[in-house]
Amino acid sequence: MRKWRSSSAYRIAFVALGAVLLGLAVLGGLVFVAMHVAFTRQLDATITDESRTLVDEFHGDGEAELRQAIADREASKSRQRLMYAVFAPDGRRLYGSLRASRPELGMHNIEFVDPDEGPDEARGLGVDLSRNERLLVAADREWIERIDHTNLELFAAAFLAACLLGFAGATGLAGYLERRLRSISDSAEAIIGGDTRKRMPVSGRRDEFDRLASTLNRMLDRIEGLLENLRQVSNDIAHDLRTPLARLRNQLERGSVEGADAVIGDAIRQVDDVLELFAAILRLAEVESGETKRYFRPVDFTALATELGESYAPAFEDEGRHFLWSIKSGLIVNGDRELLAQAIVNLLENAQRHTPAEALVRMMAYAADQCVCLQVADTGPGVPKAELSRITKRFARLDSSRNTAGHGLGLSLVRAVANLHGGRLILKSADPGLIAVIELPRSSASAPERGSNDPKAAGA
Amino acid sequence: MRILVAEDDKDTAEFIQKGLREAGHNVLLTPDGLDALHLLSTEQVDVAVLDRMMPRLDGLSVIRRARAAGVETPVLLLTALGRIDDRVSGLEAGADDYVVKPFAFSELIARLNALCRRKPLQNDPTQLQHQGVVMDLLKRQVLRDGVVVNLQPREFRILEELLREEGKVVTRTMLLERVWNYHFDPQTNIVDTHISRLRSKLNEGGKPDLIETIRGVGYRMADA
Repeated sequence: MRKWRSSSAYRIAFVALGAVLLGLAVLGGLVFVAMHVAFTRQLDATITDESRTLVDEFHGDGEAELRQAIADREASKSRQRLMYAVFAPDGRRLYGSLRASRPELGMHNIEFVDPDEGPDEARGLGVDLSRNERLLVAADREWIERIDHTNLELFAAAFLAACLLGFAGATGLAGYLERRLRSISDSAEAIIGGDTRKRMPVSGRRDEFDRLASTLNRMLDRIEGLLENLRQVSNDIAHDLRTPLARLRNQLERGSVEGADAVIGDAIRQVDDVLELFAAILRLAEVESGETKRYFRPVDFTALATELGESYAPAFEDEGRHFLWSIKSGLIVNGDRELLAQAIVNLLENAQRHTPAEALVRMMAYAADQCVCLQVADTGPGVPKAELSRITKRFARLDSSRNTAGHGLGLSLVRAVANLHGGRLILKSADPGLIAVIELPRSSASAPERGSNDPKAAGA
Repeated sequence: MRILVAEDDKDTAEFIQKGLREAGHNVLLTPDGLDALHLLSTEQVDVAVLDRMMPRLDGLSVIRRARAAGVETPVLLLTALGRIDDRVSGLEAGADDYVVKPFAFSELIARLNALCRRKPLQNDPTQLQHQGVVMDLLKRQVLRDGVVVNLQPREFRILEELLREEGKVVTRTMLLERVWNYHFDPQTNIVDTHISRLRSKLNEGGKPDLIETIRGVGYRMADA
């Protein structure tokens, strides 16, 4: 049966059936033997009792009474029929109608001749009455055989029924399992065939097949989301690359006419721009992959933010912006110092890039509940509320900032870094201006010793 | 300088070799890791440039084995991806510096110069000077023509790096690594901002500018 070999549904169903039938056969055999033994014992007990009664009669009342008692019993048909005979030492039957030869002492299977049915087997007990006489009390085993026979027939019928029912059940079960599995594999085939929207069927029974199907469906949704993301990113990259490359081409074309060194300088800048874009894409991918988590260690966030505040103050000042910063002491975050630095740098760069001169930029680092927060707020034009959720997407740029430098990857990276550290990036409108908050889980590591607990604040 | 370059990509190898020869250096070139290890342990070279991926023996193994054999030649590792894992494993293996491909040649040569100079200066000087600028590393004080110049810590560190390189170019990325300890390019102008502050403080009173900007590369101490 090929199906049986190649289908584990069938194999499982039939192995289970085989086990049940084997169990049934063993049980039946045990019951049969136990009943046989019990009935034989009961028969032996009856024979023993009867022979004891007759022996007592012989010793109490003499041989004549025994002869009478045997004759009476043989005449009565009411009870289970026992058979009797008394033998002389030479084997001669003295009285009693049982036609058998002189027995050995004790309980044996004996042969006798049934007046109706011819030679037959019986259970018989030989007992000596006196030196010259041996009593044999026997019972035909026929009724035990009849019970055995009935038992066997009943059992065979039950076994056959179990076989048929089991076979039908196993075939049905295997077919059912195979059908459910095939519906999943058919869907998978359809997806392989290109129908990526196809999903595993869910029957609504909430059984393990449904659970498997919905897990697979979730996986497919996730994969599709990732693919969609990938498609989106490739499109965006292609689109974002075309602009600088087209500009580069135009410049080179101009250079081939004019042959100026300045054109080469510009061209190098354009190429650097493209290389920067690729570096940013790769870095974002690295952060999003989560691989860098291995290098996490406690980072002195206070020192990091202070350092960045000090480094950026001159840059803001030189361009005519006001920069205020205040950083609480003792902030520790478990993470990657460089990535955290880059996230903060990106927020500060944005504040620098997208605000007019005279704007006020404030950076704050503080602890709140279980978080360490870093906030950068500006008084620039801000971001329209409807756009707030969009600007952390890759390559997302507001129309108003199309002409400023950047690739639209800065906030994506900030968000990716926050997520990598188990935190999040929150963007709020400040009317006017934008508030960006990086919320990071506070490290369980204790803060390094610091001179004072006073908030360290400095102004530009 | 005698420079060992182990790089299996033909174009990159030729590009490096040509550039280094034009800069007046003696180049030993091999496309093979095992060969590089052999040359490193038998030849007298001032500095080695090793690619990470090479036939027969990769760059990391070359460094590890060379270091185990007691070779102390400074090694610069070229890596294709600037991933954090790559950088960490490279430095752990015993590389002294690394450059991520694709790289600007000026970056590579500036770093090779710096690597070569690092060796003999192992007993750190307490004073650096250049054309009337005197930096006292113990007192953390800078004088120009005998007048104290008040510098912020980061401005001080930048000037220190420039003085240590003795007129050779220090690139922007080198400054970010050494002064800020950032191994990524933040795409920002903080280096330029700090340089311009440092410059204006050093030049106060109309003194000649000693910091030369090499466009698109970095900075160096120049003669007035």
